[in-house]
Amino acid sequence: MNVIKMFPVVIILLLLLTAFGLPIVKKKKIVFQISLATIFIAFVMSGVTLNYVTQVGDYLLRIGPYDIPWGITFRIGYIEALMAMLFTGVSLMVGWYGVYSIHKDIEEKHIKYYYLLLHILLASLLGIVFTNDLFNGYVFVEATTLSSCGLIIIKNNKSTSKATFKYLIMSVLGSGLLLMGIAFLYAVTGHLNIGEVHRELVKVAAEKHNIVVISLSLLLVGLGVKGAMFPLHTWLPDAHSSAPSTSSALLSSLVLKAPVVFLIKIMYQVYGLDIIHTTPIFTILLILGLAGMILGSIFAINQKEIKRVIAYSTVAQMGYIFFGMGLGTEMGLMVSLFHVFAHALTKAMLFLCVGSMMEQSGYKYKDEFRGIGKEMPVTLGAFTLGALSMVGIPIFPGFISKWYYSIATINAGQYIFLGFILVSSLLNAVYYFPIVINGYFGKDNVKGKIYRAKYKPVKEVLPLAVLAIAMVMISGYSSTLLEYFKFGLNLK
Amino acid sequence: MQNLVINYYDTAAMILFGVGFMTLLLNNNLIKKIIGMNIMDTSIFLFFIVKGYIQGNRAPIYESMADGGAHFINPLPSALMLTGIVVAVSTTAFALALTIRIHDVYGTIELDEVIEKRRTGYERH
Repeated sequence: MNVIKMFPVVIILLLLLTAFGLPIVKKKKIVFQISLATIFIAFVMSGVTLNYVTQVGDYLLRIGPYDIPWGITFRIGYIEALMAMLFTGVSLMVGWYGVYSIHKDIEEKHIKYYYLLLHILLASLLGIVFTNDLFNGYVFVEATTLSSCGLIIIKNNKSTSKATFKYLIMSVLGSGLLLMGIAFLYAVTGHLNIGEVHRELVKVAAEKHNIVVISLSLLLVGLGVKGAMFPLHTWLPDAHSSAPSTSSALLSSLVLKAPVVFLIKIMYQVYGLDIIHTTPIFTILLILGLAGMILGSIFAINQKEIKRVIAYSTVAQMGYIFFGMGLGTEMGLMVSLFHVFAHALTKAMLFLCVGSMMEQSGYKYKDEFRGIGKEMPVTLGAFTLGALSMVGIPIFPGFISKWYYSIATINAGQYIFLGFILVSSLLNAVYYFPIVINGYFGKDNVKGKIYRAKYKPVKEVLPLAVLAIAMVMISGYSSTLLEYFKFGLNLK
Repeated sequence: MQNLVINYYDTAAMILFGVGFMTLLLNNNLIKKIIGMNIMDTSIFLFFIVKGYIQGNRAPIYESMADGGAHFINPLPSALMLTGIVVAVSTTAFALALTIRIHDVYGTIELDEVIEKRRTGYERH
């Protein structure tokens, strides 16, 4: 058997095996080295997988000795390989940044457990992306939930315990609904393998229309809770703002995205466009996405803590992703996948910048960051790049996705939504630009102030620089990415 | 209406699901929330396992293959729900541990009292 073909399984096994090796390592430095080396290997292997996919096209990978109706399979295609590269790449940068900053947030003896959780989280996220089996996907979703709860609660203070409980309760609701949806699908089709379910579902869809609607809405709400779809986002601001900043970066950029990818898989590979058009699911997605875009931004404007501003901004950006899915066209879906990339890289960078500004200055409210640009010009510079991308200034990926969102809306003939995109962009500017402008030019705080921020060595800002470069790179290669997504979706 | 009586397992599972869901969502006590979560999970297990059950057939145990396995129930849902139980148990354990942590910090497991104490700045003491 071809070795490269097995790489996706090897990545997940490697991450899980090293995860449970980490707690027995005594020295902190070796924990960092093992963890980063493993994630780097995973990144390289994802790249090789992508290269392999470009040569042979997408393929099914059998796990274990059983054939398709019984055994679990992975499906590896363009989207899966690209997402794997994104997830491993962002975790590598966040893990690298954590080497210099994690001890400020959590206790020294917990650091190795932090990296253990990071490995499990990454492995289960990749599992959600790769899997071709609904129940297997559910198990990976649960593993993601528990490990991300661990990544929040590991910072031992009072607000995290309540935030984690809220997150856990909402997630458990979500996964209950998800499992119920899978049970309904199993009831009418008798299969769990995505391809087989689709084959059977096409035959019975007209007859069992109610079950199609029920299962699809259960899956939508279940995964919507995990992906912070607008009215179900209530856990997100608490969880993301109280977590250690490296965890916030991971939660916001990756943990929300994997359920969305799973939802896209379910919608297009299990049901297929023909069946979905008989249900009102696209309209619901569209409305909730638009509501998230606008209201998420309005909530963000009213926040005082800088991390909560960025957390609510995540709700708004997830609104864009659901909006694109709700357009129901190939273009909308492609742009949503591109926005997953754009938002993951940008938001990881924003959270790391803010975390670094907070730990160096000791502030947490956004008004207190006046004049921070004098102390930490590079970090605020990186924050500015992220903010520009979020608002949608050309050459940044945020602009590219908004541009293509507009084109997709025009192609779908729904001109009124252009207004929503425009308003949402302006609202983004309303809460991002004051932070940047006050940071560089706010003088009233600087006079007579003792600079608390210490000198930060160049190597500690390198992960931010790499994320910034990656961000600009993906907008440079946006047409290639969109083309790959198109191949990966393979809609008729 | 008649379908609800004939498929009484499904009906029971749905009622349990509703009970668990509302307890999880609306109850104020964290322990009761966790109990609601367990009821909800159990109802899903019941719903799933019923899908593999065939009236009058045996458990699929290998030593009794005399009839070539024609009278076995479908073992797959039962096997899947074993995994589901494992997931539910680990989530419950984690939630209980969190409840202990919340009790240590706030001295209560009633959610409204926790919120009240956070609002009045209890945590600064």
